[in-house]
Amino acid sequence: MQALKVLVVDDDPVSRSLLSKKLQKAGYDPETAEDGVEAVRMIAGQFYDVVLTDLMMPGGVDGIGVLESAKESNLKTEVVLITAHGTIDNAITAMKKGAVDYLQKPINFDELFLRLEKIQNLRHLMKNANDLREAMEVTEQASGETIQNLEMAVANLESRLESVRGILSRQDIPAEERIEQAIQH
Amino acid sequence: MVRNASATSMANNGSANLPRAPLGRGMKKNIKIKPDEIQLFAKYIHGVSGIHIEASKAYLLETRLGRLLEAEGCATYGEFYQKVKTDRSEALEKKVVDAITTNETLFFRDANPFELLRHKIIPEVIDYHASRTIAAPIRIWSAACSTGQEVYSIAIVLKELLGRANLVNIDLMGTDLSDAAVKQASYGAYNKFEIERGLPKNQLQRYFFSSGENWKVKDDIRSMATFRKFNLMQPFSALGKFDIIFCRNVAIYFTLEDRKKLFNKIADALEPNGFLIIGSTESLTGVCPRFVPKRHLKSIFYQLR
Repeated sequence: MQALKVLVVDDDPVSRSLLSKKLQKAGYDPETAEDGVEAVRMIAGQFYDVVLTDLMMPGGVDGIGVLESAKESNLKTEVVLITAHGTIDNAITAMKKGAVDYLQKPINFDELFLRLEKIQNLRHLMKNANDLREAMEVTEQASGETIQNLEMAVANLESRLESVRGILSRQDIPAEERIEQAIQH
Repeated sequence: MVRNASATSMANNGSANLPRAPLGRGMKKNIKIKPDEIQLFAKYIHGVSGIHIEASKAYLLETRLGRLLEAEGCATYGEFYQKVKTDRSEALEKKVVDAITTNETLFFRDANPFELLRHKIIPEVIDYHASRTIAAPIRIWSAACSTGQEVYSIAIVLKELLGRANLVNIDLMGTDLSDAAVKQASYGAYNKFEIERGLPKNQLQRYFFSSGENWKVKDDIRSMATFRKFNLMQPFSALGKFDIIFCRNVAIYFTLEDRKKLFNKIADALEPNGFLIIGSTESLTGVCPRFVPKRHLKSIFYQLR
């Protein structure tokens, strides 16, 4: 599977670049935004598997704003919030709005990678399920067409058989003529 | 109620009553169902749901009932059967039905029937009603509505087709055997996996609102539909007559004999000019001669002869 594309959103340049480097090293495909406003612009332009965003940021768009814009843009994007110590309530608000998880500062990278692996695994399962579903839909469509054609053909034959039977049972015309008519039918 | 969701993992079916696999192996042993127990359950399940389970499909019973059996602390399926049968509250029966029924469904599952509804059936039913002297609501029944996606898809089509004004004259009912499915349908909330399937984004935004992790059907769509539990093995006489009946992908779980009974009852419950829609891979040939198939573009619907 392709490496998860992760957007790191943090107004602190040090933690931003640290996160980005760690992610890169761990085999992920990170990009960075220096605040919520830039993040919203980037999210609108392309798909990210994961948005990892600080909760508190200056500039009018905070982590919740980034979360909302990510979910608005694509439900498949998973958002992980980074919160300062003691702001659990905000994190829970974020979870209610559709964030998949939150991490507390200072970030424990093992924990972060564990979360990302979970997302990766979920992606994998989803892909398998989607592949299966697509295969099922293709099969269902093809067999549906076949069955429906047969259904119409049988109904058609039945009604022809019915009229042949009607012709053959008529007593008002000679047998030979009845057979003639039935064959032509 | 439709096609499988037997997602119950075999690995989860550990047992407290059988010797456990050595620690660290990770695999736990499943309780196996014995042939006579298969027969007991097959007969019981047929009785309460009409669903026919072949003796060769023991694995299906194990994957679907295994967890319930463990939760009840039973050591064998025979013991579990006795417990289900003697449970006066019928709570266990509900759980068994929920576990055995499948809820694979999605919004606008197979687009064709909904196009058919939009362009052919609804206009014809409206004309038919207009020609009658007695004003009666247009009655639509989704006979195995599962978690409600089919019903809300129908409601969306109706809303888009008729706008606000005519909706009062429509009676849209969804029924399902499973209490859990009816409950979800009635609540009208779907998680992102359910919502992503089949529903175009513009319709999602127009007819649903986000509620935490879930999406809920907006009130104007929700209020168009009613839901109730109903077993298709029961008589239909209390339901009245319908203009349109959807009965998709449920009869496939029945024996031919039960299928014949089912579609015969559906024929009785259909208005003379009514429409029946079945699953795209289903056929009524050899099942119910009272229906004649008709084609419209890429779809087939059935009407009474």
